[in-house]
Amino acid sequence: MSYTFTILSPTDTPLFAHEFGTCRSGGDGVARFTASERALNPFILHSALDIVEEVQWGPSSSSGSAAMYLKHIDKYQNNFISCWITGANVRFLLLTRPRDEVLGLGSGAGGGARGSLAGGRAGLGGNAGGVYNPTSPATEEAVKNFFVDVYEAWVKTIMNPFFHVGNGDVVKSPVFRARVAAAAKKYL
Amino acid sequence: MSGAPNQAPGLRYPSNKKTIYDRNLNRSKNAELSRAAFAYLFVEMISYAQKRAKNMVDLEKRLNDQGYPLGVRLLDLLLTRSANPLGAIRPTRILPLVQFIAQQLWRHLFGRAADSLERSDAVPGQFMLYDNEPLVNQYISLPRDMSGLNCAAFVAGIIEGVCDGAGFATEGVHAISVADQEGEEKAGLWPGKTVFLIKFKPEVLEREEILGRG
Repeated sequence: MSYTFTILSPTDTPLFAHEFGTCRSGGDGVARFTASERALNPFILHSALDIVEEVQWGPSSSSGSAAMYLKHIDKYQNNFISCWITGANVRFLLLTRPRDEVLGLGSGAGGGARGSLAGGRAGLGGNAGGVYNPTSPATEEAVKNFFVDVYEAWVKTIMNPFFHVGNGDVVKSPVFRARVAAAAKKYL
Repeated sequence: MSGAPNQAPGLRYPSNKKTIYDRNLNRSKNAELSRAAFAYLFVEMISYAQKRAKNMVDLEKRLNDQGYPLGVRLLDLLLTRSANPLGAIRPTRILPLVQFIAQQLWRHLFGRAADSLERSDAVPGQFMLYDNEPLVNQYISLPRDMSGLNCAAFVAGIIEGVCDGAGFATEGVHAISVADQEGEEKAGLWPGKTVFLIKFKPEVLEREEILGRG
């Protein structure tokens, strides 16, 4: 199972992007996207931003505060998008791509990734058919824990007085990237 | 720079290999800051702004700009430190947002909640936040020719940063001393009483209405 994680500013500028694969039971942590999929990912993420804008204000019956974790918000072909929005309206988008074999499709376009097939199936809520269910509590919990870890690292990044949050400064720190990778390894 | 010329290029780490990512966010939660240190710094900030400002409006604007990035950062920091970090929530309507400012933000900055919060009847989308004795003004004395200046413009900048960060664009947050505007009797026992006028943009009010109707 492969993931692309992007951080976008409130004005839709990408501030950080990271690709990785699942490390659960057999996966080796390397993303497996074909070149065409990799080119398509940014388009999918940006189109999901429209949905983020709609959902971010919470259901109209809410008392005036909404959760930061917006859970699973969009699906495009085989790609599932979950979102976490910070207090300052910075968006964390996680694009999940379960392997085609898991979904029962026979195509070899995924590059024959048998290793991450085992990782994809075993890491999710024990569905008998082996189909990826993004709304299962186990998946949501795992993604939420990942987002919480990244959010902590993010708050530490913006506390830096030289990091201009409103101006769309890109995060260049390798330490931040290492933190995101460690959180991914731990939860996803 | 005193580094040796043949040092390896790239990120340099301090000798104990700890970066800012290793610092705990809650480490300074209950930390106290010396008031004298703040007063000294604030006085320097005002003179820095004053050297470059052309008139009083510009000076207030510069103080406002100095406070703005603080507001953006404090919003996330205070939300992280709020009661239940894993179930983190953020304000999505105007009223909880201004209440958050009056209670959490004020308590974090000044150790007490703001004195009162009112919504204006005359002007829609305008809120007034009263502070009887702003800490920042305590050690500032204004010369008579600048009596219209209120250095709480710095705090107004912080408020503006919080509102803008949360997605509620404002047309400006102004700090006005009550004694100046409405006369000495209104100010009563508090000669330094300041009102912060927060005016939200029309788009924000429209969105509130649409969301309210549901």
